[in-house]
Order: sequence, then structure tokens, then C-alpha cells
Amino acid sequence: MSRFWQYILALTFLSATTAVLFILRDMIDTTLVALLYLIPLGIITARWGLAPGIASALVTFFAFNYFFIQPYYSLAVHRPTDVVILIIFLVVAIVVSQLVGRAQASLAAATAREREATQLYELSTALAGLPNDHEIAEILTKQVHAVAGDEYVELSVTGTNSLEVQLPDGNAPVRSPELIIPIEAARGVLGEIRLWRAEPAITSQEKRLLQTFASQGALALERAWLAQAESRARVLEESDQLKSAILSSVSHELRTPLSTIKAAASSLRGGEVGWDSQARIDLIAAIDDEADHLNLLVGNLLDMSRIESGVLKPKREWNILSEIIGGVLARMRHVSGEHKIEIDVPEALPLIPVDYVQMEQVFTNLLSNSLKYAPSGTTVRIRSQADADTVHIQVNNQGPQIPSDDLERIFDKFYRLTATDRVTGTGLGLSICKGIIDAHGGRIWAENIPTGIAFNITLPLLLDGTRPPELPMDMESE
Amino acid sequence: MTNTPHILIIDDEAQIQRALRTILTEKQFQVTTASRGEEGLALAAASEPDLIILDLGLPDMDGVEVCRRLREWTQTPVIILSVRDSERQKVAALDHGADDYLTKPFGIEELLARVRVALRHSARVQGTQSKVVRAGLITVDLAWHLVKRGDEEIKLTATEYKLLAYLAANHGRVLTHQSILTHVWDPADADHTEYLRVYMRQLRKKLETDPERPQYILTEPGIGYRFIADE
Repeated sequence: MSRFWQYILALTFLSATTAVLFILRDMIDTTLVALLYLIPLGIITARWGLAPGIASALVTFFAFNYFFIQPYYSLAVHRPTDVVILIIFLVVAIVVSQLVGRAQASLAAATAREREATQLYELSTALAGLPNDHEIAEILTKQVHAVAGDEYVELSVTGTNSLEVQLPDGNAPVRSPELIIPIEAARGVLGEIRLWRAEPAITSQEKRLLQTFASQGALALERAWLAQAESRARVLEESDQLKSAILSSVSHELRTPLSTIKAAASSLRGGEVGWDSQARIDLIAAIDDEADHLNLLVGNLLDMSRIESGVLKPKREWNILSEIIGGVLARMRHVSGEHKIEIDVPEALPLIPVDYVQMEQVFTNLLSNSLKYAPSGTTVRIRSQADADTVHIQVNNQGPQIPSDDLERIFDKFYRLTATDRVTGTGLGLSICKGIIDAHGGRIWAENIPTGIAFNITLPLLLDGTRPPELPMDMESE
Repeated sequence: MTNTPHILIIDDEAQIQRALRTILTEKQFQVTTASRGEEGLALAAASEPDLIILDLGLPDMDGVEVCRRLREWTQTPVIILSVRDSERQKVAALDHGADDYLTKPFGIEELLARVRVALRHSARVQGTQSKVVRAGLITVDLAWHLVKRGDEEIKLTATEYKLLAYLAANHGRVLTHQSILTHVWDPADADHTEYLRVYMRQLRKKLETDPERPQYILTEPGIGYRFIADE
């Protein structure tokens, strides 16, 4: 209720009281009238505060004098007792108004403080433990919006982790914001909250509350960033440990083929091996094979480091799965001799959006893994099928089953089920597969099947939201 | 071409230079070496080699740039050497005039095969082009637009034939996706590798004994295709 109406109502109330007392004027004593006038005064002050109370006290003073002190209808006072009554009345009226008004004001202030405290409490509870700076910004914006009841609020965080949140959705009003609150923390200004609210104007109290909100937000943001920095530090520490693991694994794995090459080459050079002997042919073949093996190891390490550093960006294009698999089989022909490889990829399988070279790597690693662990003479199968938006690929072999605890861990770097001296390799093949499939937005997992183990892959069939192209094959006449 | 073809090797790694020089000299080639791009370009102009083997990772200039500068004045075949995982660079060099590529480490048989194909191709460009290409049972008659397996004619659509003819005319050489697409389709279609994938499958189905394990039309991962014909 606006001030104006408060005064009008107070005046009405006083007039009504005066009217009632006026009717009863001849029946009651002047001092009783003075006491009865204190009732509306108290009520008015209690309801509308100090200023209307004092004003009412003054109005009442004149009304009392005019209507109830003889001579009536004049402000003149004849009897000395009346003068005393009037003065006492005025003093009492003002004192009562002031006391009631002050109590009222402190009650209102206490209520406001309590509300602020509740709002702050709600904000800090909502912000507590939020790890993500974007969520923090959203919560803060939402709370500011709820508390200020503004038309529009915009929160922006500047610097390296810059972001912007607005409420409600849509564009900001074209005028400049009514209030800008900086979000300040120990290390400087992190951003600001811009508030648009023309009516009613923002009070200093609201401004103070919103400033407290902003500093709460600043604390939460700093805490989130510190937490992120800490987790980065942990990752670095882990990757440091990983590097030590790589070094020890690599030096072991590289030394084996190097030793073979060195031994073979030096014995050939020493002239101890007959020019046309079988031994010579074997030694030369060993050098050639081990050089290939070294090349594979170095390639795996390079792939792994690219996956680790996040630079492995697949160049996704529409490809034919059977072409990729065919290329891998052609290249692996000389190593797959003792296994049977069956391909079951339907002719009608749609084109799949993958990086040709990387997917070739995946199949090479899965196949060489199968060939390494499955006993010779067994069959390795590659199957595939597609549904509306996913292609499913399975590579299975008749190798020994994997303990269920290890089904996930075999995709970890350097994780090996068998002792290193039994099967060679860097322990990187499967983690490279996982890295590549993850980069494609797909999933890879291993499972035990009755006949052995299976590696399952799912890949999205959509490329930038489009479905595989279907090309009419014979669009031109022959 | 003289009886001993002259090969210029531009590579900054001394060990590779030494190995290639030893092997190629043994195979009756005349060998010159350069270890920097500028030096290589100068030697290429001065000695007019029959073939250039160019490492893409030179210390002083980009190998693709060397290719481009060579192609400003000579059609001498260029075989590029590069490491794994640099498909983009290989493709750039091939599209800027290089004839073929080898990924390090490579076997010497592979190198010699590439050298033979490149020399034959440059001789063919200068002289007359052979009109019939044979690959196993397959015969591609480029003059009569006829493709046969043994005596039996293989029916191809117009696009399939155009594609096969381009591959066969350049048999032994790698052809990049872009060069095939611009040649067989249209420069505007240079990005549509899916056309290529689909038509290649179609061609393989008609030509190859086992289309899943092709013998004649080989995929060069990330680069393009290569048609393998009889020597």
C-alpha cells in the first residue's frame, strides 16, 4: 500500500473514532475521551509505522481540542485543567506512537533480516559442493532472479573459463541494466551480474543482499576452479606414473627384437654362417620380422601418446566396413596362416561414418590379439549388423576365457593377463582400440561367450546428424 | 632414358641416404644425393634425373613445397618417403604432383616396384600409351572400351568403366581420392569419397575373384586406390 493511502486510511479511521466519541460526548468525561483516542493511535502506528503515527497524534490533538474541550468548535482553551489534559495527551500520544512505531520498525527489520538470512542460506546450500562452474552460475542466476523479481538477469564470467547465463530465456532488454554487481574474489573480478528491473526501483537493502549473493557465488566459483586444478594435478601425477610404466615396458619390449636383430646381423657379418645355408635364410628372415615387430611397437606407442594427449581426431567419412576389414586381412595374410578367419558382414550394411585408417588399426589390433591368444587352428569370426542408428560389430575367437573381473581392465594401458615372457606385445593394443572407438563416440567391451571370447563394438551411424547416404547404383544407362 | 637411370635422393638422414645409395647402385642405378630441399632443387635442375626420391620431412623446407616447385618446370617422377600417420601430408604431396609414396620403414622390394612403375609411367607419358592392360584374367582394352575376364566380357556402367579406365591407365601408381573424383566425376565432387567407396565395391564385385580380399584394386588407407596389373 502506498504512503498516500496509508494517510487517507489513518485519517478515515480517526474521523470515525471522532464521530463515535462526538455522539458520546455528553455521557463521558474529557479525560476518558483522551484515553479512548490513544486506541486508534496505537493501531495506526502499529500498522503503518512511525510517521503516520506521529501525524495522527497531531491530528488527534487538534480534533480533541476542537470537539471535546470547551469552548467547543474552537481551538481556544479556557480551563487550566484542560490545558494540562491537552498537553499530557499530546505527549502521551507522541510517546505511544514512537514506542509502537519503533517496535514495529525493528520487527520489520528482524523479519527482513531473517528472510535475507534464509535466502542466503538457501543459496549457499544450493552452491555447496557444486563442482561445475556452469552449474554454479546457473544456480546463482536463478536465485538472484527469484529474490530480485527482475525482468531479466544476466550473469557473465570472464577470463579463461568464460561463460554466460541468462534468465528468463531470450534477449536482454535494449536499455542498459539498472544494477551491475561485480563478482569479486581474492584474485580479482571474475565477472558480473547485470540486472534489469525498472519498477519498483532497487533498494539499497536489496542491493546489499545481491552483493552478498555475488560474493557467495565468487567463493563457489573459486572453489570449483581450485577443485578442477587439483584434479588436473592428480591426472598429471597419474600420467607421470604411467610414463614410468611406459618406459619400463617399452625398454623391455624394444630390447627383445633389437637383441634378435643384433645377434642375427652380427653373425651374418662375422662370416660364420655359410653363404647358401638355411641358417643364413633364417637369420635374414628374423631380422626382417623383428624389424616389422619393432615398427609395430613404435606405431602403437605413437598411437597411444596421441590418444593420451587428445590429438586423435577421427576424420569421419562414409566408409564400407567390408572394405576396411578386407584391407586388414590382406595385410595380415602372412600372420593369419594357422587360423581360420570368417567374415559375416551383410551386403546391405549401410555405409558407416568412421576414420578408415583408425578403424583399420582397431581391426588389426583385435585380430592380432585373437591370433595371439586363441590356439592355432581355431576360427576367428567378424560379424556385423546395423539397426536404425547404430552399427554393431563383433570380433570373436576361441581363445581362453577372461576372468570376469578383468573384462574391463584388459582395455587399460599395459594391462596384461599373461606373463610378459609368454606372449609379446606392449599391452597397448586394446587400449588403442578403446581410444579410437571412444573418439568415434562408440563403445567397445569384451565378453565371455560359450566358445571363447568376443569383442563387441557399437558405433553411431549418424555423421553430423545425417544418416548414411544411399546411392542409387546404376543411375546411368550402360 | 639411358641404360642406367639416374635417381636423385633428397633426404636429410645420413643412414637412409647410405642404405638407398648402396642398394640402388647395386641395382644398376646412378645415384645422386642431397640432404636439403634447396640443394635438391638445384641438383634436380642441374643433373636432370630420371626419378626423384623425396623425403617429406626435410629440415629446411616442406616436402610438399619441393614437389610444387619441381612441378613448375619438370614432369620427372617423384616418389615421396614419409612416416606413418601423416596421411594428410602425403595426400597433399600427391595432389601437388608427386607420383607415389612409401611409408617408412619400407622393404626394398616395395621401393624397387615403385621405382619401376614410376619410370615406366614417365616413359609412357613421353612415348605411346599401351592400349591394353592385363591383370591376371582381367583385360582392359582402353582403345575399344572393353573389359573381359578370360574371353567373357564384363558389363560395366559408364561410370564404372570410366573409373576402371582411369585406374588401369595408371596401373601400379597410387591415385588419391581427390584425383579420382575430379577425374571420373567432377571437381565439385572432390569431397564425396562415399561415391568412390560404393563404386569401388561395385567394380570389385565384377572384377575380383574374392571381392572381400581384392587382388587388383587395392585400397591405400587414407590416401586412395592403386590398380595392380601384370608387369
